[in-house]
Amino acid sequence: MRDVPGLPSRRSFLKASAASAAVVGVVMQAKAETPSAPPPIEEYQPVCLKPTEWAFVMAATARLIPSEGEGPGAIEARVPVFIDKELAGGFGEAADWYMEGPHDAAAHPFRGWQSPLTPLQIYQQGIPVFDAWCQQTHGKIFAELDAATQDKALTSLQKDEMKIKPELRDFFTILLQNTKEGYFADPMYGGNHGMQAWKYIGFPGARGSYKEWVLKHNVAYPLGPVSISGERA
Amino acid sequence: MKTFLRVILILAVLGVVGLLAFIFVPVQRTAAVAQLPADYKAPAGSGEYAMRAGDCMACHTAEGGKPFAGGRPIHSPMGTIWATNITPDKETGIGNYTLDDFRAALYDGVRNDGAHLYPAMPYENYRKLTEEDIRALYQYFMTEVPAVSNKVEETALSFPFNQRWGIRAWNWLALGKPGFEPVSQDEQFNRGAYLVQGAGHCAACHSPRNLLMAQDGTDESSAAFLTGGEIDGYTAPDLRGPQSAPQKWSTEELAAYLTTARNAHSTATGEMMLVVRDSLQYMTPEDNLAIATYLKKIGSTGGSTAPATPSAAPEKAEVTDTEKMLTEAKADMPLGPRLYLDNCGGCHFVNGKGAAEIFPELDGNSLVTAKSSKGLLDVMLHGAELPSTKDRPMRVRMQGYNDRLNDEEAAALATFLRQAWHNDAPPVTAEDVKAVRR
Repeated sequence: MRDVPGLPSRRSFLKASAASAAVVGVVMQAKAETPSAPPPIEEYQPVCLKPTEWAFVMAATARLIPSEGEGPGAIEARVPVFIDKELAGGFGEAADWYMEGPHDAAAHPFRGWQSPLTPLQIYQQGIPVFDAWCQQTHGKIFAELDAATQDKALTSLQKDEMKIKPELRDFFTILLQNTKEGYFADPMYGGNHGMQAWKYIGFPGARGSYKEWVLKHNVAYPLGPVSISGERA
Repeated sequence: MKTFLRVILILAVLGVVGLLAFIFVPVQRTAAVAQLPADYKAPAGSGEYAMRAGDCMACHTAEGGKPFAGGRPIHSPMGTIWATNITPDKETGIGNYTLDDFRAALYDGVRNDGAHLYPAMPYENYRKLTEEDIRALYQYFMTEVPAVSNKVEETALSFPFNQRWGIRAWNWLALGKPGFEPVSQDEQFNRGAYLVQGAGHCAACHSPRNLLMAQDGTDESSAAFLTGGEIDGYTAPDLRGPQSAPQKWSTEELAAYLTTARNAHSTATGEMMLVVRDSLQYMTPEDNLAIATYLKKIGSTGGSTAPATPSAAPEKAEVTDTEKMLTEAKADMPLGPRLYLDNCGGCHFVNGKGAAEIFPELDGNSLVTAKSSKGLLDVMLHGAELPSTKDRPMRVRMQGYNDRLNDEEAAALATFLRQAWHNDAPPVTAEDVKAVRR
């Protein structure tokens, strides 16, 4: 399935390029001053993730929302870019969370975030732990495994089969959550590139002008989405 | 031949003498239009009220500066004129002004040292003030305004406009009779006329300027009076034509606009927003109603109380082509209406009617269809905010779309707005947009 471990298959890469070309094409028609297209995701320079962490996030999000099958995958939507930026910002350092002690990391999950670690620290500490487990269990670090084994490994992580320490127990949860956010959030945050996810599910974006459509049942809304920065598709 | 040369010489000497006299003989100041006792005391509060009516603050207070301490730049076609310090400070303000000096500034546009003020000071209009109001203002500025020592930058226009004596000739042509003479039996009309023509100096912006840059009419007897002018590149709309806002609105709606900066149809933006914020909201309800009554009566419809268009009628109105297009929202619609749906429709709606006192109507809006598109583009790009007024404290705010629209997009959207629904104004170019961005 994959030509290079940790990177999307050539097929999905080509698909992604074709999709972005199509998106850019549409935008160019309507926008005279098109902001220069971002560099390909393979050339993206992460703001806060180290190379092994970046390789993991690329590989993991590509399995959580795969490029095969219907709709754009996490890679085409540039979800890893979103996660890198999100972790580099306020979310990554839990800027507006209560992070003073006492911490009881093993407390019942119903009691919410109990880890003394910030989300960025959870990624930074969780990835090596998980990679070590993959190496031990499947013979390679996560990014180098084939897709089927990656799926299996992620399932194990979700079920906490490796009995990760309590401080890191939310690792899979925030990884999945951040992947969904990167897929559906407004493109201004780096993910949902070209509003592909919105187009796929038929979400018309930040327009807020649908009064005439409230009572029109079973009629498809004709216009594509618009983003907060005014991008149209 | 000798005789001829002698005649020429005499004429030249006479000319020089005349010119010197023109420059150096002091200007005859206009006397009080009514004789009040020397110990006349203006009723408490009347000075501040007259100051509000005249909106002295608008020009004589700098952004973030002390009240009336001057220093605000007034941009004119001839260059920047710096508003002076009119606090009673003796060195930098008007603390040494006698009542006659003060009246001369308001009536004749003359400083106490005899120099002419630039007509950015609307003495064409203040000339109509009653002696009672002159006294009230003098008392207010001398005893109620705190003295502030603030040396204001000297206005330095380029030649020939730096020759202030030239204004003397301008004054001969521009200035009408001092004081105010009521022309109607209707006291409300007269009160409105006095406020509009005098202290309110509405004509300073809302009247066109004639070839001499004087206001084309300072009362309703001139056909051009209040039929629209320009301020700093922005259009000050016509107030008298059949399609003008005051003539389409009811008297009460017009008064509400003056008092609260908003009514069932529109909201005040730009300079007019400032006029409501600093001046009109302090007028009594009776006075704003008088202003509205006067403006309605001098309109081309002659003040018939029924609105000229059934804009206030229940929403059974016809569906315009624009509304139909916006409702259908076809994927291949042109860029202008598409941008309207993407950016504006949520508040101003597909019928362009907005919502009373919150979102202004764009259909038939004088700002949208103004001769200069600068006002419309400025609001689109930089947003607008209503002032908090006593009756309507909410600062309703529209965000700016500076970051969301590029020049071509803003031009396409503005062009659409200017031609949508019943609007019919010329298109806007990307260059127009570029000029308004800041």
